[in-house]
Amino acid sequence: MSDTHIASAFDRDLETIQALIMKMGGLVEKAILDAATSMETRDEELAEQVRSGDQAIDKLEEQINEEAARVIALRAPTAIDLRVILTVMKIAGNLERIGDYAKNMAKRTTVLSQMTPINGSSAALRRMAREVERMLRSALDAYIQRDADLAHDVVLRDHDVDQMYNALFREFLTFMMEDPRNITPCMHLHFIAKNTERMGDHVTSIAEQVIYLVTGDMPDDPRPKQDRTSTDPNVAPN
Amino acid sequence: MTDASLPEPRHARSLKEVDARTNQRNRAETRFRAYGIAAVATGLVFLLVLLGAILFNGVGAFQQTFINVPVYLDPAKLDKNGERNIEDIKKVSTFGYNPLIEQALLDAVQESGAKTELDSAADMKKLLSASAAAQIRDTVIANPELIGQTVDFRLLAASRVDGYLKGRVQREDVTRDKNIDVTHLDLTDELHDAGIITKGFNMAFITGADASESRPEQAGLGVSMLGSFFMMLVVLGLSLPIGVAASIYLEEFAPQNRFTDLIEVNISNLAAVPSIVFGILGLAAFIQFAHLPQSAPLVGGLTLTLMTLPTIVISTRASLKSVPPSIRDAALGVGASKMQAVFHHVLPMAMPGILTGTIIGLAQALGETAPLLLIGMVGYIATNPPEGLASGFLDPNSAMPAQIFEWAKRADPAYYERAWGGIIILLVFLMTMNIIAIILRRRFERRW
Amino acid sequence: MYDAPTLERDVTQATTKFSARNVQVWYGDTHAIKDVDVDIEDKTVTAFIGPSGCGKSTFLRCLNRMNDTIDVCRVEGDIRLDGEDIYDKKVDPVQLRAKVGMVFQKPNPFPKSIYDNIAYGPRIHGLARSKAELDEIVENALRRGAIWDEVKDRLDAPGTGLSGGQQQRLCIARAVATQPEVLLMDEPCSALDPIATAQVEELIDELRANFSVIIVTHSMQQAARVSQKTAFFHLGELVEFGETGHIFTNPEDERTESYITGRIG
Repeated sequence: MSDTHIASAFDRDLETIQALIMKMGGLVEKAILDAATSMETRDEELAEQVRSGDQAIDKLEEQINEEAARVIALRAPTAIDLRVILTVMKIAGNLERIGDYAKNMAKRTTVLSQMTPINGSSAALRRMAREVERMLRSALDAYIQRDADLAHDVVLRDHDVDQMYNALFREFLTFMMEDPRNITPCMHLHFIAKNTERMGDHVTSIAEQVIYLVTGDMPDDPRPKQDRTSTDPNVAPN
Repeated sequence: MTDASLPEPRHARSLKEVDARTNQRNRAETRFRAYGIAAVATGLVFLLVLLGAILFNGVGAFQQTFINVPVYLDPAKLDKNGERNIEDIKKVSTFGYNPLIEQALLDAVQESGAKTELDSAADMKKLLSASAAAQIRDTVIANPELIGQTVDFRLLAASRVDGYLKGRVQREDVTRDKNIDVTHLDLTDELHDAGIITKGFNMAFITGADASESRPEQAGLGVSMLGSFFMMLVVLGLSLPIGVAASIYLEEFAPQNRFTDLIEVNISNLAAVPSIVFGILGLAAFIQFAHLPQSAPLVGGLTLTLMTLPTIVISTRASLKSVPPSIRDAALGVGASKMQAVFHHVLPMAMPGILTGTIIGLAQALGETAPLLLIGMVGYIATNPPEGLASGFLDPNSAMPAQIFEWAKRADPAYYERAWGGIIILLVFLMTMNIIAIILRRRFERRW
Repeated sequence: MYDAPTLERDVTQATTKFSARNVQVWYGDTHAIKDVDVDIEDKTVTAFIGPSGCGKSTFLRCLNRMNDTIDVCRVEGDIRLDGEDIYDKKVDPVQLRAKVGMVFQKPNPFPKSIYDNIAYGPRIHGLARSKAELDEIVENALRRGAIWDEVKDRLDAPGTGLSGGQQQRLCIARAVATQPEVLLMDEPCSALDPIATAQVEELIDELRANFSVIIVTHSMQQAARVSQKTAFFHLGELVEFGETGHIFTNPEDERTESYITGRIG
């Protein structure tokens, strides 16, 4: 199969959309890293940047959806072209949610900086955020390279993120049980951890879209759900 | 409550069972095919009969009986002065050659050892055609150096001798003939056995001029062929351009109104008018009004042009109509004017049809006799071939079908054979024209 | 850099090539085109869509006065090419048609060689002064028609020996050989298979850099793919005229929406 359509304008339209997605992906990756860094270094200015930067991300999602609607109306894409357009719309949605979580993280950072720091937690959170960012980068690479194996790998890596979240959950419970003054900051930290875990899930969703794009089938192995906090009553140490 | 059972389902027939209606249809079709084949076969049978009759009756005309005899060209009789002066030689008329011929014949008979009851040479000379003397004289005038030599001549035999050897003249018929009698026939047999009298291919039939009633052995179709040829030149040269141009105007340029409809209807009717009416028109318009020479191929050509024009106009119109309008649109779309579109594109595409119509029209004109009747080309015997282009058109002449008709009218049965021979030649002409039409048509059609 | 493709979607030239005002066309007693007002932009592909018999082809043929060849057709109103009224008495339709070329529904190459097909127009309009110039015009036209590579070594072969798609590209090359300013196309792809159609549409997209193209099509999808502006005709009237993306995502008139979504015939 040739890479290009006979109608070159169609290729140009698709390239435009892909370029927008990559741009959006870049912005979101940066937002994650910046949010994590600002939390660790308690940099309020950086946090503010992340919050205002979310506007650009939202605008890009709008733009991508508009472009995709246009391409569907004008080009009537089929087969792989159709899957490209559908996945692009879903990925844009996922990226927008990730961006929102990053913004949320930055918001809480501002609040946290006024409280006593909890030892060790911010480093662990930063590690988790970094891992999620790496996963996002891999997922976007898999999208660009149409690499289903790499995408599958990303799906499996979510396992680690979930484990990290479990560990943090237990740790925060411990802190909160130790000293009631820790409860407020730990709750915020917990939300941050939860949001980061959700970010991981959205990245997994992106990777699953990539698999659908390449193979035409949604992956039907159930996602490795390691997060047992919502189901297992014995998660907390006694 | 009645026990209303469901209607019996139609038994599903196997496709291999043929029902009555289909059988009937098939039989009707087979019958129709049989009729068709029978019709074709009948046509073929008639065609064979026609060809057979023509060939059987006409082939004889291409063969003629000759008497091969060496003639001593006695200078004493032919060139008294001995100077080989052309004027002197011409002064000797055919009369003067007769003694030479008689002598030559006598010698030949004696030498061959043929037994005969004829004793006088003059009597024997009746075996020869009356044109023999003229033939020898023409040769001597053309080659005076032959005087004094003995030259072998291939002389035409008399028509009766020819007829006898061809089986046309029986011994019983000769008893009332004033020219020859049975003794002549016996001599003929003897000389034939001796090889002096032979039958050979008669080129003069194809190339020569018509002869008088008494000399059928000399008659040929050549001059009237030329007459037909010049006539056809006129017809082709006039009817093709005029017919095609008129057709183009009517089809492409003329407005669609009642007047042009009227013209169209009339042209179609003209094609069905009896050809003799055109003859009357030719007489009135060309001979009486325009004072053109009577019996001239020019006049015949003009008359036949009028007759052929409707055919050409109709076939050209049909060809023009068959050119798809998309070609006209394409030409107009590129910015061609209407005339450019018609002449550069439509006309070349219509060519095969136009050519076919033209050749058909020409072939029809070639075979027409009736129109020529009234302008005088029937019954005129042209003795000499025309000298040049102008005389070819303007000198009185005959046409092939007219010539054949004339021969068929004459009393002598030898002319009857010649009429059939003429028909063979005419048919060869027509076939050639048709083959040319097919070749031209193929050549133009390949360009599509 | 990412914004450039979206920019090109806007009509790049604001200059008007054809302007029609209050155009009416009658076929005998039938009022086929009613009160059409439209401005066709230069260097743009404009599509005319609409159900059968809506008058789009009729209107197209008014633009190069091809309707003159039909006796019963009468055109009224103002149609101007670059500001000049094309139905003025002094205008010779033949000259107009050299400026406004046309490509038809069924590919109709002349039954001549490929070279002669292209060279015919320039020849009769005297566009080349020498054989070398004519050769150049033919080559340029065939390149413009995206068919040069396929026929460059058989220019003497008959034009009718090509495949359907190639023939139509040949007809397009023939139309551009006379260096027109506008190209009118009357359903140029309706006789072609999908691949040939896509090739012709790509060609049309390339041509708009130099010509104003007006294409009549009964395929809405084709209009969506190939044009920048679309005019929707219905029962002889121009119902809506606007930017193609807008018409196909959010048309103003509900008749347009009904037609596009397949709710009316």
